[in-house]
Amino acid sequence: MRGHRLAAFCVAVLLWCATSLGALAEARPAPGAILRDWYTLMNELVRHTATYSPPVASRSFAYLGITAFEAAVGGSDKLVSLVGQLHGLEQLPQREAGASYDETVVISAAMSDAIVFYFGNTGPTGQRAINRAQSKWRALAVEGVPEDVVVRSEAFGKAVAAAIFAWSQGDGGATVLNMGFPYEYELPKGDGKWVPTNLIRQQQLPLLPQWGNNRTFATPDGATCPTPGNPSYSIEPGSDFYKEADEVYLTVKNATPEQTAIARFWSDDPMLSMTPPGHWVSIALQVAERADLPLDENVDLLARMGIAMSDAFVGCWNAKFAYNLVRPITYIKKVIDPKWEPILNTPPFPEYPSGHSTVSGAMDAVMTAFFGENYAFEDKTGSPDGRNPRQYTSFHEAAEEAGISRLYGGIHFRSAIEDGLVQGRCIAAYTIALKTRK
Amino acid sequence: MRTTQKLAVALVLAGAGFAQPGLAQTPAVPVFVDETAGSGITTSYDGDWFYIVGGGVAAFDCNGDSYADIALPGGASKAQLYVNTSKQGGSLTFAPEASGLELDSIGGFYPADIDSDGITDLLVLRVGENLVMRGLGACKFERANEAWGFDGGDAWTASAALTFEHGSSWPTIAVGNYIDRNEDLSPWGSCTDNWLHRPGEGGRFAPPLPLKPSFCALSMLFTDWDKSGTPSLRVSNDREYYEGGQEQMWRILPGEAPKLMTLADGWKVLRIWGMGIASYDLDSDGYPEYFLTSMADNKLQTLAAPGPKPDYKDVAYARGVTAHRPYTGDDLRPSTAWHAQFDDVNNDGLVDLFVAKGNVDQMPDFAMHDPNNLLLQGADGKFVEVGDKAGIANNGNSRGAALVDFNMDGLLDLVVVNRRTGAQVWRNTGAEGGGNWIELEARQPAPNEDAIGGWIEVKRGDATMRRELTVGGGHAGGQLGWVHFGLGDATMASVAVVWPDGTRSEWPDLAAGGFYVLERDKPAASLSPRD
Repeated sequence: MRGHRLAAFCVAVLLWCATSLGALAEARPAPGAILRDWYTLMNELVRHTATYSPPVASRSFAYLGITAFEAAVGGSDKLVSLVGQLHGLEQLPQREAGASYDETVVISAAMSDAIVFYFGNTGPTGQRAINRAQSKWRALAVEGVPEDVVVRSEAFGKAVAAAIFAWSQGDGGATVLNMGFPYEYELPKGDGKWVPTNLIRQQQLPLLPQWGNNRTFATPDGATCPTPGNPSYSIEPGSDFYKEADEVYLTVKNATPEQTAIARFWSDDPMLSMTPPGHWVSIALQVAERADLPLDENVDLLARMGIAMSDAFVGCWNAKFAYNLVRPITYIKKVIDPKWEPILNTPPFPEYPSGHSTVSGAMDAVMTAFFGENYAFEDKTGSPDGRNPRQYTSFHEAAEEAGISRLYGGIHFRSAIEDGLVQGRCIAAYTIALKTRK
Repeated sequence: MRTTQKLAVALVLAGAGFAQPGLAQTPAVPVFVDETAGSGITTSYDGDWFYIVGGGVAAFDCNGDSYADIALPGGASKAQLYVNTSKQGGSLTFAPEASGLELDSIGGFYPADIDSDGITDLLVLRVGENLVMRGLGACKFERANEAWGFDGGDAWTASAALTFEHGSSWPTIAVGNYIDRNEDLSPWGSCTDNWLHRPGEGGRFAPPLPLKPSFCALSMLFTDWDKSGTPSLRVSNDREYYEGGQEQMWRILPGEAPKLMTLADGWKVLRIWGMGIASYDLDSDGYPEYFLTSMADNKLQTLAAPGPKPDYKDVAYARGVTAHRPYTGDDLRPSTAWHAQFDDVNNDGLVDLFVAKGNVDQMPDFAMHDPNNLLLQGADGKFVEVGDKAGIANNGNSRGAALVDFNMDGLLDLVVVNRRTGAQVWRNTGAEGGGNWIELEARQPAPNEDAIGGWIEVKRGDATMRRELTVGGGHAGGQLGWVHFGLGDATMASVAVVWPDGTRSEWPDLAAGGFYVLERDKPAASLSPRD
């Protein structure tokens, strides 16, 4: 009996070693797996590229997702192209009829070019990583594939990426100067209007004030799904506005360890994290890997997420600069307690509605439509930064937590959160209505 | 090899040739003349990814003539030591010297007398094995890693600082390491451990102690931030690469393990692309302020309230030193700042601020034409940019730098290290209405003859200027030697040294316009530089 146990143990060790060594040898990846590898690198670049504020990240994820989707459409008997369904996307390169393509090579070639299109402005370390990934992952992708198939597959993947990039140039968001902060902008004046909240010179004007005018993908425009508006501004105790501010003040002042942990878990600061869009992509990658999604489902999910999150940010920014509402830190210091400090860094743009709430509402809707209600998952996004994983019973629960985290962190009032979640779900409905499958 | 060898010891008499007094409301702008072409300096800081950071210069006297010589790193190319051949008040000239420092993979140097033999040694920061190079005199150096038990490791070192802990005759060196350079596909989050080399037995270093956590340090400084008499270690970290990191300060107490300060101590989280530290007691309260260089934003920290808590607030905006984007030309993209240094370039008695600027490497979202800053402090405590008016607004991609009086005329000159192009030197020819000056060197019996950890105080009228004597900070390089003070229209200065052990020596009446060596329990010794 003891010998049997020992033998079983040895077999287990050998199996583990074989698996590990196999991983080290890096066998040729499936197309869905190599797509996730590219996305993982792109999420790093979101964090480490200076222009990548949340709206900018959402836009790139939209075009990247559509690139992967359209690269895969012709090789799948399940997918339907988005050409004609998205604003301004009228035509794309087609595969040669009857010719053979390799899906791993197609996807890798498309992503290899797309990453340069959307992250070409990253720093020297990012450029170095892109170069390493291009050479390393291409070598893996083409291994054992006939040369003519490689040439044809790469040409097609590159052509799709180039066509999508050309389409992207006319949406109003292609050029981001000064890390998104305008050189000139006249701040609306008046009680309750947003004013700068920090002493960083670059951030004395708000981030991307014109972003709400960008071309959308699936919603008619940025004004689709309007929000009802914040409570009327007032400094009178007992007013609805004061009550919401007092709620933020007291919540932060008496924050429980759990509330603080939630605030930090969803903080997703630009330059210090992969931003809220990247956080949701990270969740999708974790879930997709666990479910070992095939390529068609992978690209369907990532394209829909990208479209919905980009439209959500355009809609949110459209509303933000319509209302131009003051941040809690400004109001509370002026009206309630001059020494109060929020837990999180206050973002440098107007308060209402909450961007994280809008995008989280949209992601809740898209991912629930894709995976179903009550899909439990664990989110390890913050682990490298020392934050403990969190478990959720549904995407809805995660989105609600992401929203309320902004109140716990002291950077949003309740109305901005609740209305943002509703706005996001409304915007996502347009994405969910897209026809992607036969 | 010390300046004392050529000193004419004398009780202080009036110095010759100091400028006429004159304090205007608007700071007087000094005129810097680019003398690179005739200087004899040709070294450039070369290389690709491994040399995106570094490029620090060391300025110190290596041949005992009291003039500051310089060691310039070459990055992927060889480093070079240059002997200062300038004459007092003359053009800046240097001669390359075969010194033993002609090594590649060097990112910077800090000068210090490690073995307290009266000859300055060098701590050499490298991509690979760090070195301690023993000064032999006459600007010659030899490797001393083995002799001093210094484990140079194998890392991408980009910062360092040195102090003498109380009761120790051997220094403590902190070394700041950057990314794991073997992580090519995903280097983010791969910050390698910083090291603390403390004294071991018998004039050697103990094995280095890792300072965990480490967050890709680009500048370190031992500084007595709280007037406790025991310096702590400030570390400025590059947020580009750490995960879960922040700026740091370690309490380093003799015989105890380093203790990282936390929120419970009053330390607030600050996350910047930290690249350089400059310190000076700007408000004369005895507590240093700290200028931290970064990208698109720079910080000037002052204690929120004097006292034992390291609770700093940012006053860069209020004092006019954000230096967040170029001030000349049409390139409005954000700036990238590296070395910073407080010193008085117009001798009005108010320290000014120099900041070296340069794109990391073809980062299109940041300025490519990013001129270095020269920010003059006004009487109201606010700084104004005069880099272009002063003539130092270069087009180089700068990294390290040093404001040093190379020609010993009482005016601080400038050397700047540039990436992929030659280093530059400017001679300060003075400012119209510029003030008087004094230059001082504190000396005490070995160990720690340079009194690292002490302070020099200079009173001019009601104002007291204080400078902490440190080895560290800036960006990858530092200085050892004369400490310069502008005196404005004061013709005499009352000087004191607070020695590292806390005792105080005073010299009540030193004439402006002179160089003085201040030794414990001795009269000030004036020095006449060679003509």
